[in-house]
Amino acid sequence: MYKYIPYIWLVLAVVLVQIFLLDNIDLGASISVLIRPMIFPLAVLLLPVEWKSVWVLLVSYAVALVLDMMLGGSGIYVLTLLPIALLRRSLLFITTRRSVESSDQSQLFSRMRLGQLMLYVGVTLLLHHTLFFAMETLSMANFGRLVATILLSTLCSLLLSWPIVRLFTSKVTA
Amino acid sequence: MNRLLEFIKRIYVVLLFILLECIAIWQYATSTPYTEAKILSRTTAVGGYFSRKITNINHFFSLAGENNMLTHRVAELEQTLERERELLADYTEESWQRKMADEDDLHYRYYPARVASMTISHLRNYIILDKGERDGIKKNMGVITPDKYLVGYIIEVSERYSVAMPVLNTEFTMGGSLQMTNYTCSLRWSGDSPYHVDILDVSTYAQPEVGMAVEAWSERMPKGVTVGYIESFEHNAAKTAYSARLKLAVDMSALDNVLIVENTHYGELESLMDNLDIQSSSNGTK
Repeated sequence: MYKYIPYIWLVLAVVLVQIFLLDNIDLGASISVLIRPMIFPLAVLLLPVEWKSVWVLLVSYAVALVLDMMLGGSGIYVLTLLPIALLRRSLLFITTRRSVESSDQSQLFSRMRLGQLMLYVGVTLLLHHTLFFAMETLSMANFGRLVATILLSTLCSLLLSWPIVRLFTSKVTA
Repeated sequence: MNRLLEFIKRIYVVLLFILLECIAIWQYATSTPYTEAKILSRTTAVGGYFSRKITNINHFFSLAGENNMLTHRVAELEQTLERERELLADYTEESWQRKMADEDDLHYRYYPARVASMTISHLRNYIILDKGERDGIKKNMGVITPDKYLVGYIIEVSERYSVAMPVLNTEFTMGGSLQMTNYTCSLRWSGDSPYHVDILDVSTYAQPEVGMAVEAWSERMPKGVTVGYIESFEHNAAKTAYSARLKLAVDMSALDNVLIVENTHYGELESLMDNLDIQSSSNGTK
């Protein structure tokens, strides 16, 4: 139980930062339309690799449900975070180019190269943001603006997430 | 049962994911009228797409049955049409009532059949049809397609099957006539192409044209059965007649459903011709 306390702190921290800080930053109407940083997928990305998929899925559901309730998402957070939870192992496999079934998986994040780690976080955030903004607009009428929103928001989220990722992987999983 | 449980145990994470996603989609879809309208239209479009595909597949598998039904329907309609033609050609109050009452008076009867096997690569090709004596098929009945294109005529019949000599047989003989004219000719197949036949002895008064249709001219066939269309024509060496090359109207290699045509007066005509032969031979001996 003790070893999971950092993960609980991580989940709480990213959820609270998202609810009380990132969703309340006023960047002006023209920028807010294009840039909406979301760092809460980290609560799923950095969960222990050795965890069974079902636990990852349930934790993701709990996190997304809280966000839906607090931010009035009406299910969109659940809808877009659960695919990330389900695909996490595959994304890890693709970015690290090796199986995560081996016995040395508990320290995987600390032993990943920086490039691999950034690719893993970046690709996952991109996938999440694509799903999120596509589901939010439900229209391809402004396709160019949709793509710009996805790319700019992903970049911004990655920049904000990176210090947390580095801190967490170097201190906690080391 | 155990296998089912094992299978569910293997995929329970995916099932849980689908369940939670469905709940979330439902919640999201019903949250605002906009999302409701958008998601409903998308699901309807996707549902409609799959429904259309399934319908198309079902339709494809029912085509054979529909085709068979249509061939029967064509046979019935041809028979009705023939009856109407006869009534119109020879209309009196008495004949009308008599012919309406008596089916046997029909000049032509049509029997639907399917090709059981056939050849087109030999000089003497034959078609085996899946209808025989027990279906009312007799020798010398004509064979046409439902589109009224000439195929051939019956030369042999067994209980369940019949053999037709198609136009693609070097021994095939039948008369023809140029459409919209009264000029007759003889049909011959030289054996060089399964898509072409030749017509010979066309009067020099006739004015054949490329693309002109040639119809069968035979007591085995009703009027209006197309043999093919003129592709080229020329005078014979003595310039006493035209000969022409026809592109066959029917593609013999793709033959499936056909109609067998019975001329109900054929027996009478045949005995008449036999009597003429006997008379002429007896006159010759005298």
